[in-house]
Amino acid sequence: MASPLDSSQPRLAAGCRWAPSTTGKEENRMILFPEGAIKLQGTGRQVLERCDGQRTFSEIIAELQKEFGTTDPEKIRADISTFLEQLQKKRIVDY
Amino acid sequence: MLPNPLALIAEITHRCPLHCVYCSNPMQLAATQSELSTEEWASVFEQSGKLGMLHAHFTGGEPLARPDLRELIAAAHNARLYTNLITSGIGLSEPRLKTLVDAGLDHIQISFQDSREDSANWIAGAKSHAHKIELARGVRRYKIAFTVNLVVHRQNLDHLEEMIAFIEQLSPERVEIAHTQYYGWALTNRAALMPTQAQLNRAVAIVAEAEKRLAGRIRIDSVVPDYYAKYPKACMGGWGRKLMLINPAGKVLPCHAAEVLPGMSFENVREKSLEWIWRESASFRRFRGEDWMPEPCRSCERRSEDFGGCRCQAFLLARDATATDPACSLAPAHHLVESAVREANSEASVAQPTALSSFVQLQKLTTDLWTYRTNPE
Ligand code: SF4
Repeated sequence: MASPLDSSQPRLAAGCRWAPSTTGKEENRMILFPEGAIKLQGTGRQVLERCDGQRTFSEIIAELQKEFGTTDPEKIRADISTFLEQLQKKRIVDY
Repeated sequence: MLPNPLALIAEITHRCPLHCVYCSNPMQLAATQSELSTEEWASVFEQSGKLGMLHAHFTGGEPLARPDLRELIAAAHNARLYTNLITSGIGLSEPRLKTLVDAGLDHIQISFQDSREDSANWIAGAKSHAHKIELARGVRRYKIAFTVNLVVHRQNLDHLEEMIAFIEQLSPERVEIAHTQYYGWALTNRAALMPTQAQLNRAVAIVAEAEKRLAGRIRIDSVVPDYYAKYPKACMGGWGRKLMLINPAGKVLPCHAAEVLPGMSFENVREKSLEWIWRESASFRRFRGEDWMPEPCRSCERRSEDFGGCRCQAFLLARDATATDPACSLAPAHHLVESAVREANSEASVAQPTALSSFVQLQKLTTDLWTYRTNPE
């Protein structure tokens, strides 16, 4: 198992999808997958909303760094990488 | 406050082209003419979505035996449910698969009996293996989740390594290694199905190795069978806590086997709303929470994790639905499980695990070793 590369294009794995929104502006969003669902808010949600199979890993990091400005860039990269690796292991994300 | 149920198990028919000896269906199968209609199921899915459920699991019998499966999946999808088809794959052509995907199918779970054609057919009691391999390849053309479900037991556990290698070639995202649980048909066939301790130990090591090797590619879910575990499983996530099962005739059950419990009656979606059944029915409240619990559960720390284990297993083994699950090492009736385990590991046990080479021969010799599942009227 490997961490995402700069050029990886993370995406939701086959059969994993966002739950349809009822109001269009919920605070929590949910990803549905075969064994269950995860509720996402805050950073986790911001990361996964960008995992569209188009943006590269480095683009996602750059976008989020811009958004958080002050935080340590290396730490952001490491955190997002671990987050995606865990979800890949659960087969919710591919990259 | 009572939380919402999370998922619906839609047992849409008890008809099935296979006759698996470990089938979890009740011995008394629901007759074909009593099955809920397309419209009745559509109403069930709509109610499920409104109740806050997230997943609908289509199972049977063989769900494909319903010609209106496409409509049923579409109805569940429209009710905003995540749809999962649990199937043997028999009767699923590629064009039909495509119509199901177009109707909103999210996940398909195909069960395999063994990696070897002769023994797989022997266990399923039908010629089914070759077709499934082809189907599994077809599945990968669609963007749906794909799980291979491998039912393991005494007669095939020694092939586990080979089975995993075989499944890898089908490239699913998930493999579920399900040890046979002893209800219904499987309880009748327990002596022929229960693995030995040595088989189990080897299997645990093989799974650990495969998990490491396949991490990031294939997720493996495997649980130690409860006869060999120290504590019981939280059956269905606890009685009336997470799931509702609807049988082909519309009866609403807290679990697959609940109908074996004496003195209980279950509501039907033809007469009552799903919400009322979840909140108010005597059957769903019967073993919900902790009030019904006997000792040692009542004062045990694990009671909020396993809820005292399985009510049906307690009844089937100890003849008391309110007893601690005999699979628990602390249960007064644990000796019942211990003696079954002892028997499975003794030299003189009825059914020795079979060697690979002898499978075909064995097939001829021992069709009387177990009882094949029959079909409903
Ligand atoms: S005594 Fe009851 S609650 Fe405790 S582990 Fe056993 S079954 Fe679970």
